[in-house]
Amino acid sequence: MIEGSTRVQSRAKRLLGVVTAAMLAVAAVGCGTGSGEGSTGSSEQGGGPVTLEFAQWWAPELPEGAFQELMTQFESQNPNIKVKLLSAPYASTKQQLVSGAASKTLPDVVGLDGAWVNDFAKQGAITDLSALMAEGKYDESQLASQIKVDGKTYMIPVVNFVYPLFVNKDLSSKAGVKTVPNNRSEFLDAAKKISALGGNVKGWALPLDTAVPNGIQNDVMSWLWASGGSMLTPDGKPNLTSPPVKSTVEYVKSLNDADVIAPGSLTMKEQDKVEKFTAGQVGMMIDSLAHINLIKKNSPNLDFTVAPIPAEDSYTGKRGLPYASWGIGIADSSEHKAEAFKLVEFLMSQQANAQLSTLANGFPGNNTAEPDFSKSDPLFKTAFDIYKKGYPANEFVGLPKSEELMRTFDENLQLVLTGKQSVDDALNKTQQSWASVI
Amino acid sequence: MTTRKQRRRLSAKIGVIVGLCLGAVFAGFPVVWMLSTSLKPNGEVFQVPPRLITENFSFDAYWKILTDPTQLRFFLNSYIVALWVTALTLLVGILAGYSFSRYEFRLKRFINVAIVSVQAVPPITLVIPFFGLVVALGLYNTYGGLIVTHMVFTLPYAIIMTTAYFNTLPRELDESVKVDGGSGWTALWRILVPISVPGLIAVGIYTFMISWNEYLFALTLTRTDDMRTVPIGIQLLMGQHSYEWNQMMAMSILGSIPVLILFLLFQRRFIGGLTSGAVKN
Amino acid sequence: MGPAHIDRTVLPEAATLEAEPAPSPAQARRRPFTVRSLTPYGYISPTLLLIFVLLVIPIAMVVSYSFQDNVIVQKNPVFAGLANYTKVLTDPVFWTAIKNTFLFITVSTIAHLVLGLAFAMMLNTGLLGGLTKAIFRVVYILPWLFTIAVVAVIWRLMLDPFGVVNYILTTIGILGTEVNWLADPSTALWALTFINIWSGYPFFMISLLAGLQGISADLYEAAAVDGANPIQQFFNITIPQLKPVLISMAVLDLIWTSQQFALIWLTTGGGPLNVTEMLSTYTYKQAFSSYEFATASASAVIVLLITMILAFFYVRQLRER
Repeated sequence: MIEGSTRVQSRAKRLLGVVTAAMLAVAAVGCGTGSGEGSTGSSEQGGGPVTLEFAQWWAPELPEGAFQELMTQFESQNPNIKVKLLSAPYASTKQQLVSGAASKTLPDVVGLDGAWVNDFAKQGAITDLSALMAEGKYDESQLASQIKVDGKTYMIPVVNFVYPLFVNKDLSSKAGVKTVPNNRSEFLDAAKKISALGGNVKGWALPLDTAVPNGIQNDVMSWLWASGGSMLTPDGKPNLTSPPVKSTVEYVKSLNDADVIAPGSLTMKEQDKVEKFTAGQVGMMIDSLAHINLIKKNSPNLDFTVAPIPAEDSYTGKRGLPYASWGIGIADSSEHKAEAFKLVEFLMSQQANAQLSTLANGFPGNNTAEPDFSKSDPLFKTAFDIYKKGYPANEFVGLPKSEELMRTFDENLQLVLTGKQSVDDALNKTQQSWASVI
Repeated sequence: MTTRKQRRRLSAKIGVIVGLCLGAVFAGFPVVWMLSTSLKPNGEVFQVPPRLITENFSFDAYWKILTDPTQLRFFLNSYIVALWVTALTLLVGILAGYSFSRYEFRLKRFINVAIVSVQAVPPITLVIPFFGLVVALGLYNTYGGLIVTHMVFTLPYAIIMTTAYFNTLPRELDESVKVDGGSGWTALWRILVPISVPGLIAVGIYTFMISWNEYLFALTLTRTDDMRTVPIGIQLLMGQHSYEWNQMMAMSILGSIPVLILFLLFQRRFIGGLTSGAVKN
Repeated sequence: MGPAHIDRTVLPEAATLEAEPAPSPAQARRRPFTVRSLTPYGYISPTLLLIFVLLVIPIAMVVSYSFQDNVIVQKNPVFAGLANYTKVLTDPVFWTAIKNTFLFITVSTIAHLVLGLAFAMMLNTGLLGGLTKAIFRVVYILPWLFTIAVVAVIWRLMLDPFGVVNYILTTIGILGTEVNWLADPSTALWALTFINIWSGYPFFMISLLAGLQGISADLYEAAAVDGANPIQQFFNITIPQLKPVLISMAVLDLIWTSQQFALIWLTTGGGPLNVTEMLSTYTYKQAFSSYEFATASASAVIVLLITMILAFFYVRQLRER
């Protein structure tokens, strides 16, 4: 009885020995070069150089090594400060920031989205930048905008990405659409004609994924803002039952009823919308300017242009243009706030800001900086003109729990689009829900 | 001349082969598609009609990953963590399984229930308290932190399975060792473990998988690129504006190859077969 | 003669392969307190240490959060009694999530079991050679090798209205027109369940394959001699022998599937119209969108309580076997 088990045993022992040896070897390599430190922030060696940790999702979106180069520029101008770039997957950034704030392990400088500011400020995660600006006697007039909560600035937008209308010129001309639509009726008409091309082509894409409900901001409310409308009252309370909002929702519903929206809308993500446009399955979309290079790279032969978002037929005023920003803030738990602010100043300085905006294909947060359009696509110049003629509009920035607000609106809109709820009911329900938050 | 029995055997064989092939399509098709996507330029991923191989077929994505030291580091980290987790979980699991299987003690049922049910707490709610704890223990951004965290998730499973496997072995086996003057410890390592090797390998493989594919805590408990693991590497390719489809798929496939090799190496032991093992199959 | 083997047909208990019942607790208690009675605790101490420090403490914190308000994201936590529980239990979305989760986990687990067993038996057959089986084994284990984010993303790509699945089904003629698998409220939950079945069956398959190895061939031979056909052998030998493993895995799978988050989040986000809203997505939204960690904790505790009941029955039946 023992004989058999010994043979098994010795084979098992040998295998175990091999595996253990392998693991020890691998671990030796790892421990030798890995960081075993439990560092939770920047380090300082009594008077020596300060290392700032900067968490952002921007570096992968820029040309290889470009962002690091900017940091090197900063380091050469500030010999006492080193910058360590940390990156995290974009989709998890907010969640990681919340967790990091809760355990006081936030990096010194953090990249932020405007929609998160209110909640992070309330959490005490990010510090009051107004105070730092006052201390450093910073000239605030050069900032195109600041995101404030209770009168204090918590985030400064570094680069702004506007969301104009993208039009596929190949599909439009094939469908007999002569000019780029300028108002809602023209848009509906163009969308119908493009959808009539058949196959898998539709006129418009509407991403209503509830996991990341940005579609409400970029693809629905943008219609409202393009006609100068507002979803809030002048004192910041929800105003969703007002005629402009109602007409916006009814318009979207009419687009849905006309069957011009690409299928899969209820769970479509922003990335899908772009992919479908790039693949020539969607004729028109409202999308971030930052995608121009992406579309050109993936589909070099696609002939498309950008235009202002169509307004209500009778509207002739200035048009609001939705935007998203790469914003910057400083962690409240940072031990090097002064140095961190130097980094912020650098990124907002005229030269660096212009450089970054050009690289990112966005518009500068410093209103004296002019992005260099000479080497980039002529469409950027077109978009910049649209930007200058209109005004940046994103009422969700600075609101508390903006993601939840968008999601409630989204869920009710989905009920409208699937015929399960009337527009009035949807707006009333959403209004009630919003009123309990704002 | 074929007898009825031989004919029945042949039809059974054909039935099995057909079943296996259908199952293989079910199991393998998405993986084939993954492979196909990794060889396409990003612009062609959404092409209609979908094609398995496109004209701009290239191995660029693989090349990019294999020449990027940051990505390679992700692989190394994942292996180190997963191997340690597997070894330690097996060790601790065997000990605990032996205790549950062979002994009766006062808190046994309570601990059993606790071990099974602690898995039920949604990890999302645990993230923040857990995170605080790991930081307090000084394990933030270290291999140790990840290893210990993953062990906590894989132990309940390992214990349940080792208990189940040990329970299928009669106590006479233990007794035979004790009669020869050995202790419970000897009985465990000399008899129970060698016989349970197929089951233990199954547990080991699964533990490795869980650790290898774990994302949420790996992301939360690491900070710098030199500690991050493959799932994080893949998610880093899912950018704000678009996904790097081909690189994501390529990284997935590259990550699975060594695990596949591990499986191939161990599967003979684990399938056992008629030539090894102390129990006649 | 090859390696010695234990001839199970000789030992009286071998036919059922069950462990001999341990001395009853009453007997154990009557024994004098010796070092030996601490032995089981010794074996279990590393487990207890790890789980206590790293799991019980955070769980206790979660439970405490559930009784407070203003936790984590706001300063000044205040005691709130059962308010959070009431909020959760009166939320219709919570009940939708419970219903969906229940459907999701039961269908997934049953399918996992059936598929896993079917594949395991096919891979264990004596009708084919070792190499063939090895190749198929490798193919069948593939879904296991990929991280869930990739599984979600690739299936999303394939299930796109103009993706490859619709393309194949319409070309073959099974479907008339493209189906919106993940965006149509009537198909979303089933599509999601299908993806989950695909990604999870290898677990069952491998464990059952290992379990099948442990069934003595003598039992089958004896049954064949008695005139039992393969189907009878399956139900009277295979299933009973595998029962402990089957039950353990079913319980584990139910619990794990109820935790599934990334798959749902990356494919449907809980939509459309909440048809794929699960307890995991509900809790996530409470925590990281509404920033209501207290409510999320209350929801987590409710899930924990339900599972503890399940675990209790599971452990009880372990003993009685």
